[in-house]
Amino acid sequence: MEQLLQHLVNGLVLGGTYALLGIGLTLIFGLMSVVNFAHGEFYTLGAYAAFAALAWAGLPFVAALLAAIAAGALLGALCERALLRPLRGHSIDTIMLVMIGVWIAMQNAELLAWGGVARSIPHPFPTAPLTLGPLNIAPLRLFVVLTAAALIGLAWLLIQKTRLGTAMRATFQDRDTAALMGVPIGRIHTITFAFGSALAAAAGALLGPVFLAYPSMGDLASLKAFSVVILGGLGNLAGATLGGLLLGVAEELGAGYVSSGYRDAVGFVAIILVLLFRPAGLFARAERIG
Amino acid sequence: MLRLEGLRAGYGPIEALRGLDLEVQQGELVCLLGANGAGKSSTLRTISGLLRPRAGRIVFDGAEIQGRDPSDVLRAGIAHCPEGRRVFPYLTVRENLAMGAYVRRDGAAIAADLERVYAHFPILADRRRQAAGTLSGGEQQMLAIGRALMARPRLILFDEPSLGLAPTVVETTFEIIADIRRDGTTVLMVEQNARLALRMADRGYVMESGRIVLSGAARNLLADDHVRAAYLGG
Ligand SMILES: Nc1ncnc2c1ncn2[C@@H]1O[C@H](COP(=O)(O)OP(=O)(O)OP(=O)(O)O)[C@@H](O)[C@H]1O
Ligand SMILES: [Mg+2]
Repeated sequence: MEQLLQHLVNGLVLGGTYALLGIGLTLIFGLMSVVNFAHGEFYTLGAYAAFAALAWAGLPFVAALLAAIAAGALLGALCERALLRPLRGHSIDTIMLVMIGVWIAMQNAELLAWGGVARSIPHPFPTAPLTLGPLNIAPLRLFVVLTAAALIGLAWLLIQKTRLGTAMRATFQDRDTAALMGVPIGRIHTITFAFGSALAAAAGALLGPVFLAYPSMGDLASLKAFSVVILGGLGNLAGATLGGLLLGVAEELGAGYVSSGYRDAVGFVAIILVLLFRPAGLFARAERIG
Repeated sequence: MLRLEGLRAGYGPIEALRGLDLEVQQGELVCLLGANGAGKSSTLRTISGLLRPRAGRIVFDGAEIQGRDPSDVLRAGIAHCPEGRRVFPYLTVRENLAMGAYVRRDGAAIAADLERVYAHFPILADRRRQAAGTLSGGEQQMLAIGRALMARPRLILFDEPSLGLAPTVVETTFEIIADIRRDGTTVLMVEQNARLALRMADRGYVMESGRIVLSGAARNLLADDHVRAAYLGG
C-alpha cells in the first residue's frame, strides 16, 4: 500500500510535466492545426536554458525557470512569425514537413552548441528526501510537481478567464467569425505558438534537473506530448492535464511493478488501448480549447 | 455612407463578384436580393475584409477601406452579422457578447451596452452563462444580432437573418432589424425572403452572377415583373 502511494506520488511528479508538454502541444494543434514535431525541442531548449542560468549565471532556480520560459516563448514566437505565418493556408502536410525540418535543425543546433555529452543540471535543493508520513519525496521533485500544478492553473486561467483566452477559444471555434469580431488572427497564432513552446520549455527546465540534459532528450518528450494529446483528445486542456497525470502514473506503476525497462512501453500500451477503444481520447467531449 | 465601385473578388479561379456597384446612404435600410450563388455573401465578406477584392473600391464615410483587415473595418464602424448566425458554440452567451465588443476599450460603456442588449433580449440575460451552442435557432439569431450591436456599429451588414428560422421568429427578427434602423444604425441586408425584406427596406438591389442587374426603391421592386417572377413567386 505504501509502495503504491509512493509510486503514485512519483507518477504525479512525472505526470505534471507531461501535462505541461501536452497542454502546449494540444493548444498549438487545436488552434493552428499545426502538428508540431519540434515541440520536444522546446523542452530541450528549456533544459539547456535552465542549465545555463544555473551552472553559468548562478541564478536562483526560479529565475532559471523564468529564463527557460522566456527562451521558449521567444523562440516559439520567432518560429511562428518566420516559418508558420508565411505558410498559413498551405496544406497540413506541407506544414508537417516544415516542422520536421525545425525539429532536425533545432536538435542539431543543440548538439553543436552543447556537445553530445549529457549534462547534469545543478539545482539548489537538498538531496535528502522529505518524509511525509509513509511517503518520501525529494525536495526538487516536490518543487517540480507544485510548480507544474501552478503553471497548469495559470494556463487554465489565461484560457478561460482573460480577454485573450476568450479570443483564443473563439478563434479555435470559428476563425472567420473571430476575425469579424476584430480578433487579429495572426497575432493570436503567434501568441499561441509562443505560449505552447513556453510550456514545453518550462517542462524541460523542471524535469531537466531531475534527470539529465542531452541534445536528443526532446525526442522522448515529443512522444510523451503526443501520447498525452491522444489520451486527452485534441485541443482539450482538461484532457491534456488528466492525460498527462495518467501517463505519468501509468509509467511509474509499470516501472515499479513490471520492470523499469518497460517504463516507456507502458505508456504506449495505454495509448494503443485508448486508440482501440476510445479513439477520440479518454476525455472526449465536444468542447475543445478549454 | 458606403459606396462600392467596380468591385471584383473571388475564390481562386472562381469569380464571385464581377464589377459590382452599390451604394448605401446614411440611415437607410437597403436590401440585396439574388439567387443562390449570386455573390451576396461574397459582397458582404468583401466589405468586411474577410475576402480581399481584386479590383474596385469600397468607400466608407469618404475613406477607402478595400483590402483592409476585418478589425480595421469594424473599428471604422461596420459590423457584419454572418450567414448562419455563427455564434461561438462553446463560449457562453456573455462571452459571445463580449467578443462583439472585442475591439472596444471603453469598459464602462461596454458594460452599459451589455445591459442594453440584455434589456432588449431578456432571453439572453436568462441564458448568459449557458454555452451559445445550446440555444435554439431563434435565440442564436438574437445573440448574433446582439453581438454585432456590441461593436456599436454605424452600419450593420446582415446576411440572411431569417435563414432556417420558424415563421414567427422570422417576423421578430425583422422587427428587431427595423428597430435597429429606427435607432439610427444604417443597415445593408442580404435576404432570401424578398417580400418581407422589400416591405421593410427603403431601396433594393438585385444581383445575378456577381453583378447588380436591377436596383430601385423597394416599392418599385415589389411591383417589378422580373422581381415578382424570380424572387416573389410570381
Ligand atoms: N469559400 C469559397 N470557395 C470557393 N468558392 C466559393 C466560396 N464561397 C463562395 N464561393 C462561390 O462564389 C460564388 C458566390 O457565392 P456567395 O456565397 O457569395 O453566394 P450567395 O449569393 O451568398 O449565395 P447563397 O444565397 O447561397 O448564400 C458561388 O459560385 C460560390 O460557389
Ligand atoms: Mg450567402
